[in-house]
Amino acid sequence: MATVHQGTVETTGTPHGEESSGGLPQLQFQHWGGQIVWLLLIFAVLYTVLAKGLLPRVSGAIDERGAKIAGDIADARRLKDEAEAQARAAAAEVAEARAKAQKTAADAKAKASAEAAERQAKEEAILAEKLTVAEAGIQAARDEAMGHVAAVAQETAAAIVEKLTGKAATAAELKSALA
Amino acid sequence: MADPMHQFQIQKIVELPTVTVFGMPIDLSITNSVAAMLLAATLLTVFYSFASAKRAVVPGRLQAVGELLYNLVDGLADSIMGHEGKKFMPFVFTLFAFVLFMNLQGMFLVFTATSQLAVTLTLGFLVILTVVAVGVIKNGFKFFKLFAPSGVPWPLYFLLVPIEILSFVIRPVTLALRLFGNMLGGHVVLKIFAGFVIALGGMGLIGFPGAVLAMGSVVALTALEFMVAFLQAFVFAVLTCVYLNDVVHLDSH
Repeated sequence: MATVHQGTVETTGTPHGEESSGGLPQLQFQHWGGQIVWLLLIFAVLYTVLAKGLLPRVSGAIDERGAKIAGDIADARRLKDEAEAQARAAAAEVAEARAKAQKTAADAKAKASAEAAERQAKEEAILAEKLTVAEAGIQAARDEAMGHVAAVAQETAAAIVEKLTGKAATAAELKSALA
Repeated sequence: MADPMHQFQIQKIVELPTVTVFGMPIDLSITNSVAAMLLAATLLTVFYSFASAKRAVVPGRLQAVGELLYNLVDGLADSIMGHEGKKFMPFVFTLFAFVLFMNLQGMFLVFTATSQLAVTLTLGFLVILTVVAVGVIKNGFKFFKLFAPSGVPWPLYFLLVPIEILSFVIRPVTLALRLFGNMLGGHVVLKIFAGFVIALGGMGLIGFPGAVLAMGSVVALTALEFMVAFLQAFVFAVLTCVYLNDVVHLDSH
């Protein structure tokens, strides 16, 4: 730090150049007019070029980007909505198809069971008919057999009576005796 | 050691005739100061021509920097002046970018136009005259309400109005001196420390540590000066917005 300080003293001690006769060179007022006029001129041109030409292009690019991003987001949102709608439609279709399939299956099942029931009823009817026919046959056979039994009993009784009494009993007598 | 003030000396590059306006001679020669301003304006124009040429959705580096500066000033004007800021944004932007380019140019080349009091004062008065013009066009005679804020007991006006007028009149001077002082001071200090490096380095082994220290200071100061170059341009733009806002929204003053 000491050396630096020494340097400062040395600097300030150095005599100034010829052109700056003491004081700030900025305060040489003979140079002010030209600088002011030129600065105003340059500033006016620069302002015109920037404000009318270049800055609108910069802001245009920024706005375009903003619009593009907003547009892309809107597009993406729209596509997403569309996809969601399609997904919903597909889900509805699947549900409908499933309901249809279930209905078809139920219908087929009902039809099949109805047919089966019908067939069964028919079979049962046939069987019942056969049964009644057979029962009628059996009844007839039994009646006939019972008839035969009476005849046999009558014959047997006639034979017994004849054997025991030696004379044949009349049919009327046998019938009354057997009744 | 070189004179640290020599860098601010106006020197003529191209001799042009002197015109006399209202008895005041104006030397229109292209000096190093004028050349620096011309170069800064040209660089700024060229920079924005390239930066805005492609208008790409995904910006390149140049376009990104261009849009960064644009958005900086646009956001500034919008946050200070609100919706009205859009109208004045090109003016504020031109001031900001021009001052920034002149400041930064001083970091790379030998001459800093913003270290000339004539330049900063002209810019300061340009701002305040624009403020007055906008205020009068927008508000008419109500413009003078700026110096008499409402909502104070009337006896206070005897004190308040002169203070308000003084604070308004002093604005271009403070604007100019702030920028001028920062640029002048920074470049003088840089020059002095750089001078130490040569002076102490020439003393051999005894001066060597000091030269190294001075060199480190120059590096650090250079970084600082880059920041100051940006910051002063930004401050200039902020204050321009604030002063414009005073007259744009005079009713809420």
